[in-house]
Amino acid sequence: MFTSNPFADLIVFLPPYFMQVYIILMILAVAAGTLFDMLHKKSVIFFARQWRKSQTAATKQLSGMDNAFLLIRTLLKEVATSGEFCNPLRRLSHLLMFYGFVIYLVTTIVMVFAYPASAIWPVLWNIGALMVLVGGYWFFFFIRVDVAKEGHSPFRLVRADLFIVSLLASVTFALLWEIVQAAGGPTATRIIFSIYLLFTTLLFAGVPWSKFAHMFYKPAAAFQRRVEEANGSSDLPTPSVRHEGR
Amino acid sequence: MPTFVYMTRCDGCGQCVDICPSDIMHIDRTYRRAYNIEPNFCWECYSCVKACPQHAIDVRGYADFAPLGHKVRVLREEEEGMIYWKIKYRDGRVKEFSFPIRTTPWGSIKSPADYETPDTQALDSPMLAHEPTALHVDTLPTLSSSNNK
Amino acid sequence: MSLFTSRKTHFVDSDILIIGGGFGGCGATYEARYWARNAKIVLVEKANIERSGAVAHGLSAINCYMGMQWDENQPEDHVRYARNDLLGLVREDLGYDIARHVDASVHKFEEWGLPIMKNKDTGRYLREGRWQIMIHGESYKPIIAEAARKAATEVYNRIMVTHLLMDKKDPNKVAGAVGFSVRSGDFYVFRAKAVIVAAGGASHIYKARSIGEGVGRTWYAPWSSASAYGLLIPAGVKMTQMENKIVLARFKDGYGPVGAWFLLLKSYATNAYGEKYEEARFDELKALVGEYAEKQPVPTCLRNHAMLEEIKAGKGPIYMHTQEVLDTREKEEIGWEDFLDMTIGQAVVWASQNIDPREKPSELITSEPYVMGSHATCSGAWASGPEDIAPADYQWGYNRMMTVDGLFGAGDTIGGSAHKFSSGSFTEGRIAGKSAVKYVRDKSTDTPQIDDMQIKELEATIFKPMENYEVGRNEIVAGTVSPSYISPLQGLQRLEKIMDEYVGGISTYYVTNEPMLNRGLELLTMLKEDLDHLGAEDLHQLQRAWELHHRVWTAESVTRHTLYRQETRWPGYYYRGDYPKLDDTEWHVFTASQYDPQTGEWEMSKLPVHHIID
Repeated sequence: MFTSNPFADLIVFLPPYFMQVYIILMILAVAAGTLFDMLHKKSVIFFARQWRKSQTAATKQLSGMDNAFLLIRTLLKEVATSGEFCNPLRRLSHLLMFYGFVIYLVTTIVMVFAYPASAIWPVLWNIGALMVLVGGYWFFFFIRVDVAKEGHSPFRLVRADLFIVSLLASVTFALLWEIVQAAGGPTATRIIFSIYLLFTTLLFAGVPWSKFAHMFYKPAAAFQRRVEEANGSSDLPTPSVRHEGR
Repeated sequence: MPTFVYMTRCDGCGQCVDICPSDIMHIDRTYRRAYNIEPNFCWECYSCVKACPQHAIDVRGYADFAPLGHKVRVLREEEEGMIYWKIKYRDGRVKEFSFPIRTTPWGSIKSPADYETPDTQALDSPMLAHEPTALHVDTLPTLSSSNNK
Repeated sequence: MSLFTSRKTHFVDSDILIIGGGFGGCGATYEARYWARNAKIVLVEKANIERSGAVAHGLSAINCYMGMQWDENQPEDHVRYARNDLLGLVREDLGYDIARHVDASVHKFEEWGLPIMKNKDTGRYLREGRWQIMIHGESYKPIIAEAARKAATEVYNRIMVTHLLMDKKDPNKVAGAVGFSVRSGDFYVFRAKAVIVAAGGASHIYKARSIGEGVGRTWYAPWSSASAYGLLIPAGVKMTQMENKIVLARFKDGYGPVGAWFLLLKSYATNAYGEKYEEARFDELKALVGEYAEKQPVPTCLRNHAMLEEIKAGKGPIYMHTQEVLDTREKEEIGWEDFLDMTIGQAVVWASQNIDPREKPSELITSEPYVMGSHATCSGAWASGPEDIAPADYQWGYNRMMTVDGLFGAGDTIGGSAHKFSSGSFTEGRIAGKSAVKYVRDKSTDTPQIDDMQIKELEATIFKPMENYEVGRNEIVAGTVSPSYISPLQGLQRLEKIMDEYVGGISTYYVTNEPMLNRGLELLTMLKEDLDHLGAEDLHQLQRAWELHHRVWTAESVTRHTLYRQETRWPGYYYRGDYPKLDDTEWHVFTASQYDPQTGEWEMSKLPVHHIID
């Protein structure tokens, strides 16, 4: 079951282009959602203003090479290793969710567009999904700060939970669909697949309202921070320069 | 001067929620990041500012009496035993200061239970733990009984 | 409470329960462990002991250090100083007791890692003034908290204790306390053989000078919510000197400290026209308080009085001439560190108003009144004194035990022991800690019993504000205005207005009289009744609700004591318009009050002031 492409079996009730169109729509939804978010909240204007302020306050001019180097460090530390998190458990759970999601997403796109024969793709898809679920449920029940530090019940849901809930629901129903489909119940398969699509749509279309957009904002902010430390415009006391980039 | 949290720096770790003596640093429902829920109960003790690993918390002087444009930022280097301040005036002047905060390693205080057990009679004397040695004088002062009215 | 959470009850048993993890509580914890290696010592704190209490930001000076090792002072000198500052009315036995031990506490602080500034010439601690030494005290609290953590069996953070529990067999014996977790909302029942209350004194019982966000910048911590008194009064503990409100002359708005400026840096204050006004008003002071005006140093309240009179005469603002004394970088650093170690808000005021202390003077002002026991004031519980020193009627067996058996106190909680500050409060905690160990040893076969019915009732009482809100909320569409409940903030604002207008707050220049005080009591009575209708939206608001309860008990006590003392003992702290002079014939006494929880009656009395030091 875990070695065959689950999307291939959809042919029973859906044409192959259906999922391809769906994925393209979701990509567009994310792009549109992010753009809408940035313009509507005027966050682009805000960041541009901050950038200009930082340049004006800079005591040291950075070259293109300097900036490129800072960008690479940001990508390597904050993005690739979730380096922003001080709490090692939180960092681990984020790495699981992040890489799990990337693997799951890439393998979905490959399986839907290329329908490859090799079993490596569905295997990776399942591994990616499991990583998301392990990291995600761990985060949801134990690490979320409003649960861990404020004493709220994990079932107290607020808007900030839109992303994690839709992510977990989407990936959970993806696996459920794969299992039910392989077990052979056509009605159950259709129902569970629909729910999977519902939560997946919520996940991607919810970008303007959820924390999903952090995937763009956070690295941008981390990069801007490194620039401020490097060009002397940071308002933190001087010793911070040698401590940033921990 | 009440605290506020920078959106781009806060990652919602909750250290400020843990430390605030006033219980006013809490987690926002939309971003799951920290914010000051009750600025009128903020003493500007800077406990949260110092505790934040991302330097995401800053203070804007109370609007009642502090004009805008100032910054008082801090870096507390616990391991090093130092604290660094950078003060920016409304008119742009900057002052920086640094002071020591501790002369011994964190966690190094000897537990009172690790001292030799006092003998049972000592419980009835007026001397407290480590006395008279810790007083740096020979005996604990007392008043002669004629003083007691 | 949602569908998936239900409130749990936790029973925590201990030998010694310490309520409040500030300097008093941490001192008690440390000392208790030294004397009782196997005892279960539990410390409970409504916030996080790492930064809780009045020393949260840190301090720039330790204001109570004798320096006996260098013959700088003896304990009796400190007693005379505190006595003069309070115009004769201090518990000399308690004060002597703290003064003789405090040097040891300070030496331990240094050993633990507190950086104390040294005098480059003598090698001794750098004196700010006769009693004060300068420290780099930003981490003063975390250092002390570490000592307490090493000593305690358990430290419970984020548990607000709301009520003491009495022994079922003996209503005048303590059995423990109850409270709730500010995080989980669980109910906590602490049972203990001895209880030490080392909670905070009272800020926010009078209307503050600032009104918006600025209300947060009280001189004393906003989280000093009078639990030191609010836990005791309803339990029937005898209280003393609750009328001894303190008013501080400090840098305006930020309430930054002035001690280092006056004493170490040798700055001075003038009116707006550059005139030094204090000496000029000496005769006025003499007319009010007689010989007490001649004491050196000039008592704190009298300095306030001079400043107030100057302001009322239209000669304000009053200025501290910082620009006259910062002639070196070293002095500039001392001046800034003085604020950055303990009142960072004042540094923010300077930065925001473009005040460079090297160039411009800063305004001084008198604050709104506070009630506490560890500063130039001594409100609190009437406590038994040290066995080797206290006069017979000042002791009933265990040092720092209150009039309830097994109930001990330290810091703001204990009345009569003025000028102890951080080091003295920690020391008083140590005294109480050792005493509690002795008490537990002596009563070893005696385990207090708690009344299960009472526990159930208390649980309902404690969480009632949340129920009031949840149910009452159904009546209105939205917003903060409800006909059936008030929020803790609304209650607090009403309290502050009552106290301000009737019990000598800033709006009356601290003046009150019998008709005003009686009117204040009427309004306080209605406020007390309305406390049954507090509505708390969440656990944070529930904490605020109980803080208000403690403040209202304290405010009522303050009002009754102020009514009882028919004289003006401390002009500059408050004035009785109907008894404007000091009256040593009738009032060279401590005032005392005891509330009877059965009848709801208050009994006021006088207690003698014994001078055991010449």
